[in-house]
Order: sequence, then structure tokens, then C-alpha cells
Amino acid sequence: MALDAYEGASDEALLVLYGNGDPVAAQLLTHRLAPRELGFATRLLGGDRAEAEDVVQEAMLRLWKQAESWRSGEAQVSTWLYRVVSNLCTDRLRKRRTVGLDVAGDPEDDRPSAVDSMMDVDRASALQDALNRLPDRQRVAVTLRHIEGATNPEIAKIMDISVEAVESLTARGKRALAKDLAGRRKELGYDET
Amino acid sequence: MTKPDKTQLDDDDLELFFEAARRDAPKPSEAFLSAIMADAQTQLPNVQTKPATLQKQGWLGSILSAIGGWPAAAGLATATVAGVWIGFTQPVQLETLSGGLVLAGDYVISDASYVLEDLTPGYLGTSIFAEDEG
Repeated sequence: MALDAYEGASDEALLVLYGNGDPVAAQLLTHRLAPRELGFATRLLGGDRAEAEDVVQEAMLRLWKQAESWRSGEAQVSTWLYRVVSNLCTDRLRKRRTVGLDVAGDPEDDRPSAVDSMMDVDRASALQDALNRLPDRQRVAVTLRHIEGATNPEIAKIMDISVEAVESLTARGKRALAKDLAGRRKELGYDET
Repeated sequence: MTKPDKTQLDDDDLELFFEAARRDAPKPSEAFLSAIMADAQTQLPNVQTKPATLQKQGWLGSILSAIGGWPAAAGLATATVAGVWIGFTQPVQLETLSGGLVLAGDYVISDASYVLEDLTPGYLGTSIFAEDEG
């Protein structure tokens, strides 16, 4: 099957194949990139799944449009996509604030989840609440570093800042999270003694 | 024994939250993935069909592409016209225009070209006058 033949190909190779008119490459890229970006966008948007889907679809559409003119070696596809998603989310958060809506939004109760214990659900939810209270750039940096697993140099490229600035953002973000979540020790099952 | 700082979590505690968040990653629905792939289909570059859109060349087109297209044909035409003009134009005409100086000796009667009167009309006039007197 054609999909199997492409399994080992890099994201960039698949994008070039798509740019040469190969629709199978787009299927594989979608399955590789969209779930990751959806998780990232959902966290940045305070758990708003529907809006996160809009953002990721828009970002992927931009990727398809870029395919033919994609300059090899200039940026990694995933890095480029994270940057687009991050910028789109920041724009939407800004718009929310200007129209006076709740920044955090309400996380959806019926979202599909791989969480198999209530403790995990509570912790993930508490973390999301705390992330929502962080400044935008700290939230982006902490999410990329500690949830998406990106390295500091990668985050620097995504956010277009220095590695030192990334380190500063993640350190401040983590301190704020630690302080915020400390108040919920008991309800989250930590020993108070 | 020191009492743990209750005002902050340490890195290990925080990591539990991050792990929970990683496990809590939203799973994309089939409808969402299908919508993205539908976009990909509409934006699919039409590279493979381009050769089929090429028109069949006629004999003039074949010649043109063989010599390098219209620019090359224009250069060739200019060179041809220049060659014909050079071939048909008699050197004597050039001789006339230059007053017999340029091609003297090769194509015309050189004796006539270098008569002093040709170069100095004033002298010619004087000689005529002198003849009249004589």
C-alpha cells in the first residue's frame, strides 16, 4: 500500500511529494501533524476544542498552499506549523479579550480522552486552569517544552526568540504554575503533612 | 526534619501534572481529519497534468524551437538582411560617400581620388583662374 511505502519519509519529503502532486503524502502528513497541533492549540486556547480545530485546519491549509514553494532546509515542517498555530492562537486570544469574553473558556466535558484515571483528569484540568492564567508567551513556551516535548532551540525557532529568552520564559512559567497549583495539593491527592 | 514548602510544588510534583496533560491529549475526530485532507485535495498542485496541456507544434514551431525560439529567429533574420545589403551595395557608392578616401586604391581609380583639387577645392578654383589668365 502506498501509505506504507511513505512511512519512513520525513515530513519535509512528504511535503515535497505533495507539492509535486501526490495526494497520498497529504494523508500521511495530516495523520502525523494534525493530532499534535490539535493538542497544542487546545491547550493554548484554554481547552476550547472547536476553536482549536479551526486553528489547526487553517494552519494546515497554509501548509498546503506553501507546499509548491517550500524551500528545502529552511525550516522543519513541524517547527513552521507550531509557529503558525501559536500565532493564530495568540491572535484569537487577543480578539477574545477585546470583545470581553472569558480568556480561559470552558473546557468541553465530552472531549475524547485517553486518560484512564480520575486523578489524571483532575491534574490535567488543574494544569490547564493554571496555564490559562499564565501570560501568553509563558504559556506557549511551557506547553511546548513540558507537554509537547520540544527542545529549547526548537522553541526559540518557533517563537522567533533567543534560547536564553526561552529559558527565562519557561522558568518563570514553571514558577508561576508551581505556586498556583500548590494551593490545590489536597484536592489533587498530595500529602499535606 | 524540615517541613516541605507548601507554597510551591517542586519539579517532580509539576512533572506529574505535565504527564497527566500529555495523556489527556485530545484525539482528533475523523471528521476533523477528513476536513483537512479535503483542503489538501483542493490545494493539490496540478504538476502531473501539465505535460498533457502542451499544444502540438507545427513545422514552423519545430524549426523555431530547434534554433532557440523567436529571439534566435530575429537575430538570424537581422544577420541575413545585413548580409544581403552588404552583398548588393556596390563599394563605389561607399566611395562616393566618403569622397574617395576610405576605399581608395582597392576599388576605384586611385589617381583621380588623390588629385589635389579634390581635397582642396580652393586650389582647383585658382588653377582654373590661372588657366584663364594663361
